[in-house]
Amino acid sequence: MNEVTAFWMLAAISVLGALIAVRKRNLVHGVFALLVFFVGLAGLFLLLLAEFIAVVQILVYAGAVGILILFAIMLTDRVTGRDAFRVTSRGSFWGALISLAVFLVILLPTIQDIPTIENPTPKETIVETSTVKQLGIHLIKPYIITIEILALLLTAALVGAVTAAQGGRASENEENNK
Amino acid sequence: MSVLGSGIFKGMAVTLKNFVGSYFDKERLTTNEYAWQANDKLPERAGDYPKEEAEQLSDTTTVTQYSRNFPMLLHDAGEPMDTVRCVACQICERECPPQCIYIEKSTEKKERSGNKAQFYPATFDIDVSVCMSCQICVEVCPFDAIVMNSQFELSTPSRFGELLLRRDDLLKSNDYYYKIHPEEASARDKRIADEKAAKEAKKKAAEAAKKKAAEAKSKSEAEAKAKEEAEAASKPTEPSDTPPAESTATPSTEPPATPTTEPEKEGSAE
Amino acid sequence: MTLDLIKDILLATVPLLIIFPTMFALTTWVERKALARIQNRIGPNKVGVPLTPYGGKLSLFGLGQPAADGIKMLFKENIVPTGADRLFHFLAPILSLIPSMLVLCFLPLDFPWLNGEQNSVKAFMLDGAVIFFFAITGLNTLAVFMAGWASRNKYSLLGGMRAIAQMVSYEIPLVLSAVVVVMIVGSLNADNIAKAQEGWNWFVFQPWGLAAFVIFFIGALAETNRSPFDLPEAESEIIAGYFTEYSGFKFALFFLGEYIAMFAISGLAVTLFLGAGAGPGVESLSWLKIFWFLTKVCILIGVMIWLRGTLPRLRVDQLMGFAWKFLLPLSILNIFVAGFAWHIKDANKETATSVVVWIASIIILYAAAKGLDRVNRAKVKPRTYQYGE
Repeated sequence: MNEVTAFWMLAAISVLGALIAVRKRNLVHGVFALLVFFVGLAGLFLLLLAEFIAVVQILVYAGAVGILILFAIMLTDRVTGRDAFRVTSRGSFWGALISLAVFLVILLPTIQDIPTIENPTPKETIVETSTVKQLGIHLIKPYIITIEILALLLTAALVGAVTAAQGGRASENEENNK
Repeated sequence: MSVLGSGIFKGMAVTLKNFVGSYFDKERLTTNEYAWQANDKLPERAGDYPKEEAEQLSDTTTVTQYSRNFPMLLHDAGEPMDTVRCVACQICERECPPQCIYIEKSTEKKERSGNKAQFYPATFDIDVSVCMSCQICVEVCPFDAIVMNSQFELSTPSRFGELLLRRDDLLKSNDYYYKIHPEEASARDKRIADEKAAKEAKKKAAEAAKKKAAEAKSKSEAEAKAKEEAEAASKPTEPSDTPPAESTATPSTEPPATPTTEPEKEGSAE
Repeated sequence: MTLDLIKDILLATVPLLIIFPTMFALTTWVERKALARIQNRIGPNKVGVPLTPYGGKLSLFGLGQPAADGIKMLFKENIVPTGADRLFHFLAPILSLIPSMLVLCFLPLDFPWLNGEQNSVKAFMLDGAVIFFFAITGLNTLAVFMAGWASRNKYSLLGGMRAIAQMVSYEIPLVLSAVVVVMIVGSLNADNIAKAQEGWNWFVFQPWGLAAFVIFFIGALAETNRSPFDLPEAESEIIAGYFTEYSGFKFALFFLGEYIAMFAISGLAVTLFLGAGAGPGVESLSWLKIFWFLTKVCILIGVMIWLRGTLPRLRVDQLMGFAWKFLLPLSILNIFVAGFAWHIKDANKETATSVVVWIASIIILYAAAKGLDRVNRAKVKPRTYQYGE
């Protein structure tokens, strides 16, 4: 009973958050609604006993990505939308259809495996030991190459961002030095 | 070469010394708790705060003579309203940045002891909840009537009524002023005396000049008359000799009266 | 079943909700008193407990001050600026309190009455307690931004931006210094970490542990906006920062949230480095664990107050430089040092080796800190003043 209630509450919160995030014209309100969605999703992960994913969801999405979006918004000059720029939602039907299709394609295998939420039996038995430990071992042993490549990619992106941001200023400094 | 982070510990040692020292060392903890109240008794009602000058003195003398907070009205020795210096000119009311002064001028003039009849403030209110202690009223007052008090025990249980200081609350004697701000008071009185002397001297000079001018005028008038009479016989149309005589006489009497008081005041008030 | 659940929930949460707000009230008083004494003042000493409605009171060195402050805050007018975003202005204080309150559950506080027949009741039984702690304290940043943005005040927004920049920067050394302990213990569970330090095996007595503790403490000061890192609320520069436009009970909530966050992060520091509930006499009396835990938290809070009375506020560039150029490299190095020390000790269990490792890691860490300090200082040119001197 408890899990089901919790599931529906979290699901409602997440969906509402997502809807508000899409519909709100005020960008900051939208971002905070998005954060509500992230936190709701973290709750859902927690419900599925995937603690670490839940933590990462909060830490990375609600914490870091949220702040990043907020900073980006602060750099724009207009926070609240103007009605003059309102985009009329033509083709919303096709949009909805495509999103539904994508949604179904992604979810189809999962839906087949778990028929009801009342009986959320995973395919494999839950690992009793710490999920974090399991995750760590998996990341370091079989997926080490993937991790390293990702790390390299992220470092490259970071360095690129720094050079892009510093490009103008560095030349300026040089000019000043001359 | 210092150990990393030793500066922080040095600073912390200093603060620790002060922290511990304030409990044992009377020299460190100089706070004087309610010197005018007996046995650490706290004022609890509005009536517990000193309203009388004598009582206020014990309060105001616990602070240094350089302390200032809110304005007061000065009067010379004698009955306050007979010797009040304020003439209700309302300059301070106009200059006050937060506009916390409210003055009503009296309808008729009143004789002051030793001075000629002047207007007096029928109402003089200062809202000390609005006053920002900028002392601009003190600076602009041409009569040295408003100066700063240093009485700080002003808290009251009501928010509006008792923070509005009435004329009678504000009136303080010059002796009181001497007691709370001795340096400033003597400097101010010296300046007033000097100005008065200077004024008198100038007045005398002006009178002498006037007399001279008058003599000269009468002389010239007599001359002019004689001339006129002499000329009247030949040319009776143009009687234009009087204006120049007047313009030479007036400048010598009038100018000294205005510039003496204002610019000198600003510097010496400090 | 539901009744039992409710009972368990109350048993697990109510003690936390009583202990920490009470500590908050007392801390405000202690802080004001201590700061006053540091500056050779007396501090609040008049407000007491009224004995009768007509007079007479128990003064107790002004201990009634927190209560008086609370009552004042409750009855003060709630002012919302005209241009403000009313909803967010209202939500921000609540959102700032929730994460700080929530993370209290992750502290290894075992109340004796919670240890029932089968197992102990806790509000949260999570393996990843430590990382959850950081994830949820990170949400505080959002509340700060919300407050700064919703007030529609330049000072508020500046304060909010400063707070975000500072919190995001200092979270990294904070987490990295905690990683050391997590790595050595091999668990993210707060109870396991506490268990690993039983007796006097506190991690702070290890060189890497001390370095991590110092970094963690500095990061904690910055994370909770305490002096000398209180730039987001620098009175002399931006009024009160992000809560410039807050008054009354909303302000009180911010205040409460800030102090609870202080307790929470001090509690985590105690858990990670200072042996959690370890102390003399805990073997015989289990409730002494709570006593020692709270005592250690109070000592850390005391040091925070002491530092507040001592150090002047940092400049913004100094603040950022300190986090990125000093704390971050040092904490990364510290992870390596701890790893090597642990490995060598694991391979060779002789006392001589451990002493050598101990001394070597002290030398390495100190030299690194000194080197970083010198490198950073080399870039600072002697200041020139345009109008001074």
